Amino acid sequence: MAVQEDTSLALDRTQTDGETYDPAHDYHALNAMLNLYDTDGKIQFNKDEEAEHQYMHAHVEPHTKQFDSTAARIKFLVDNLYYDQQVFEKYNPEFLDRIYEHADNLGFEFETFLGAFKFYTSYALKSFDGKEYLENFPQRSVAVALELADGDENAAMKYTDEIISGRFQPATPTFLNLGKAQRGEPVSCFLVRIEDNMESISRGVNAALQLSKRGGGVALLLSNLRELGAPIKHIENQSSGVVPVMKLLEDSFSYANQLGARQGAGAVYLSAHHPDIMRFLDTKRENADEKIRIKSLALGVVVPDITFELAKRKEPMALFSPYDVERVYGKPFADISITEHYEEMVKDNRIHKKYIDARDFFMTLAEIQFESGYPYILFEDTVNKANPIDGRITMSNLCSEILQVQEPSSYDENLNYEHVGRDISCNLGSLNIAKAVDGGLADTVETAIRALTSVSDHTNIEAVPSIKRGNDEGHAIGLGQMNLHGFLAREGILYGSDEGLDFTDMYFMTVAFHAYKASHQIAVERGHAFKTFPKSDYAKQPGQGNYFDKYTDGRRSLEPKTEKVQNIFAKYHIAIPSVDDWKELQAQIINDGIYNQNLQAIPPTGSISYINHSTSSILPVPSKIEIRKEGKIGRVYYPAPFMTNDNLDYYEDAYEIGWKKIIDTYAEATQHVDQGLSLTLFFPDTTTTREVNKAQIYAWRKGIKTLYYIRIRQQALEGTEVKDCVSCML
Amino acid sequence: MVPISIPRQPLKLIDRVTAINWNRLEDEKDLEVWDRLTGNFWLPEKVPVSNDIPSWQSLSEEEHTLTMRVFTGLTLLDTIQGTVGAVSLIPDALTPHEEAVYTNISFMESVHAKSYSSIFSTLSNTPEIDAAFDWSEKNEFLQKKAQIVLDYYEGDNPLKRKVASTLLESFLFYSGFYLPMYFSSHAKLTNTADLIRLIIRDEAVHGYYIGYKYQKGLAKVSEAERQDMNDYTYELLNDLYDNEVEYTESLYSGVGLVEDVEKFLRYNANKALMNLGYPALFPADTTDVNPAIIASLSPNADENHDFFSGSGSSYVMGKAVETDDDDWDF
Repeated sequence: MAVQEDTSLALDRTQTDGETYDPAHDYHALNAMLNLYDTDGKIQFNKDEEAEHQYMHAHVEPHTKQFDSTAARIKFLVDNLYYDQQVFEKYNPEFLDRIYEHADNLGFEFETFLGAFKFYTSYALKSFDGKEYLENFPQRSVAVALELADGDENAAMKYTDEIISGRFQPATPTFLNLGKAQRGEPVSCFLVRIEDNMESISRGVNAALQLSKRGGGVALLLSNLRELGAPIKHIENQSSGVVPVMKLLEDSFSYANQLGARQGAGAVYLSAHHPDIMRFLDTKRENADEKIRIKSLALGVVVPDITFELAKRKEPMALFSPYDVERVYGKPFADISITEHYEEMVKDNRIHKKYIDARDFFMTLAEIQFESGYPYILFEDTVNKANPIDGRITMSNLCSEILQVQEPSSYDENLNYEHVGRDISCNLGSLNIAKAVDGGLADTVETAIRALTSVSDHTNIEAVPSIKRGNDEGHAIGLGQMNLHGFLAREGILYGSDEGLDFTDMYFMTVAFHAYKASHQIAVERGHAFKTFPKSDYAKQPGQGNYFDKYTDGRRSLEPKTEKVQNIFAKYHIAIPSVDDWKELQAQIINDGIYNQNLQAIPPTGSISYINHSTSSILPVPSKIEIRKEGKIGRVYYPAPFMTNDNLDYYEDAYEIGWKKIIDTYAEATQHVDQGLSLTLFFPDTTTTREVNKAQIYAWRKGIKTLYYIRIRQQALEGTEVKDCVSCML
Repeated sequence: MVPISIPRQPLKLIDRVTAINWNRLEDEKDLEVWDRLTGNFWLPEKVPVSNDIPSWQSLSEEEHTLTMRVFTGLTLLDTIQGTVGAVSLIPDALTPHEEAVYTNISFMESVHAKSYSSIFSTLSNTPEIDAAFDWSEKNEFLQKKAQIVLDYYEGDNPLKRKVASTLLESFLFYSGFYLPMYFSSHAKLTNTADLIRLIIRDEAVHGYYIGYKYQKGLAKVSEAERQDMNDYTYELLNDLYDNEVEYTESLYSGVGLVEDVEKFLRYNANKALMNLGYPALFPADTTDVNPAIIASLSPNADENHDFFSGSGSSYVMGKAVETDDDDWDF
């Protein structure tokens, strides 16, 4: 029977075996029992184990192609164009035998049904007719490790160990694609600027198509586009503004997908002071006209400090014509700091302005978030103040964790590049905090930085030259983290407690230290740093605005505040870097530079945290038993890691924990992360727009860089709930 | 579309009009339910059903036919409930606020009916759609079910109308709902399932509310009449159940799901009785539905979805409250 039909559904089974449907052997039904209490009111964790077992033995094993030896397997896969010959020919056959045997002996097993199901549905290599699986998890991991290591046997072994042990998990595009002959790019996300001319808009649409075909989410900046009614060729009332461009982009993303692996997905960012801002937000309204309604495109709003100040002072908020601003200042709207130039622009009669009420703006923002979860928010001034790299950050990406500088491109009439600017591609991968701590942390961080750097080195996005230039010059990567809540619960610490915050602070500082150390080491090996290193805060002299001054000038203690956290670091033999350690590293970096322009970014980690059995990112669990819904896997139930019927108290969910503790946790981590962190806020449906606004104000004041989407949980009306459902209980 | 009889005489909705004052509530439940229903407002355009096209194409001919038939059946029920059922409850309303809730229910039922059409036109083509509607016109069990309910709506007993309505909302829809829930638990037509889950979210509240109002009404009548209603309810349920079993067989026998759908029918029949304040009819061991279906029914907005697949069925209309100066004190 075909794998694809069988994983999904075969309603015609009565015609082949004459039996009726029996839920007891249905792994989906067993998995669903995880979400129903047993007769004693206990969560049925064993049912999920049974589901995993049933799935592996009744479905996966019979549908996996068997080979006599590693050599036979690789020969078959290369000859039949499944694996990329160039990856495997760099290693001798004895080594390949050894590494696959080693991988098999590590004793990997999936910990949950969703982990196994997700892996075989979305990641494992299948025969072209979809009838057989050609890989298991260790084999996929080795294929990834071999391509990352590029012929280096030691590195290949290290990558294999880190991935199969679960300490380091490459992001989906890397883990899905590497080693395969028919594949997309291993890159997680792309960010592309659009400038205020038709050529740039055309290039933007082209980038949406080309990049969606290759993989990864694509974000585009709309702030520079002239507003609805702005002049074209000096004739007034000609432009139709940003909304029609959003429509073009949305359709482009729906059209392109990676060999059907996943549909294109995109985000657009707009400045809060762009005159089309309200129209931009209204595209997500429930009752918006079909012509302007935006369904699948994600929205982000770029909010400067001045917007908060205006709201505080109850003053109207000026929206400036980007067309006029570009003519007055000689540079695109997004490259002007609105906070800095606000009063000046208000007084300048050459700039057309519209006024809206600043508090109304925030209320509308929250209303739209209720209805749609969007927009994301990027705190423009916070982000640029914290940015160590020369240049300006004007946007983020589909998951709001990438924060890097860009440079505009310009085009000839035939759309050739007149000037190739710099845009962004980002390669991500995350550590499982619990497993990384178990393993002593330092080596895992170094291996992860090297693996991600390798992805950057092997990335060559010719389709969008500005992205290629950005990557070639910056080698930017994003090391992420996941399973914070799982780890804290395992150690008997409540999320958002003093000890939880203390651990987050110390852990992220230690990770940052080893990440910079590794990037410095790579710069020494390669003999050069990223291109704009000399102009960055990393190159400044100590005490004169150097990025590491915060660790060396005594403004803060570098030691744990609580005994519990002190003990955890001691128990796992992890040294917390001291002032002297930082001073030494600072001096070395000033001398040799670092190889990667950007190092850390904390993504939301959906799929990979299921395979890895982690809690997502550094967020609390959304529910003790999480309901996961995706196009390819349907609705599946997922238990939090390390959870048993005896330690449920440590698994308060995100709605119970509330926005304040989540923001506090992120604020601790933010200090040590050069880019951004995806921060989802959770509210019960009884909340109001005011509460959402309060959370946003608090986040901005705590130095949070971006807010990802808003999630609202609606509890069933009393009397209509499904009985005995775990995720339905408060 | 379907040859069912529509009441010949226009319904007399209410005798007199008093301005509705939401600040003078006679029954708190009216406002609670009104808030819930308006907060849950949605339109089918919200859900990117077109993302299901590849999934639809991977289904067999037989699965296509089954799906179309299930949805035409649901369309018929929602048409009845939207244009006749909920409207016929208005004259019996005990409070003006209850009337307002029924108008909302009636409108949303029409939204549901339209949603099925939007699923059809997105996934299927005219000949397939016409064939399915043709089938539903000729299926005797579906027509019988429609006729039984319509007769009670046309009858003169307000309590009986409510019973019929609750059984429709909480019981009769579910033989159809089974299929999209089954599909989505096997990773098929997941966006369509999102849309159906929004409908289920509404129907759960409708059935609950109408059942609640029935219990309120029942409290005001004589003991004899109560006993009469009790007998009537179980009799009607048994009639509908027998018919529903045959309907289920006519739909699902080709695919081996009959037994599980029937468990699901009994499970929901018990829920409908619970909404009406009556004890369950079917023992627990005959209602042990496939847990994947039960778990997927949950009307809570608590699922976690990814960007690459769809919008999910989670978001609600927000309550707008202005911030005050204290909130901006920084």
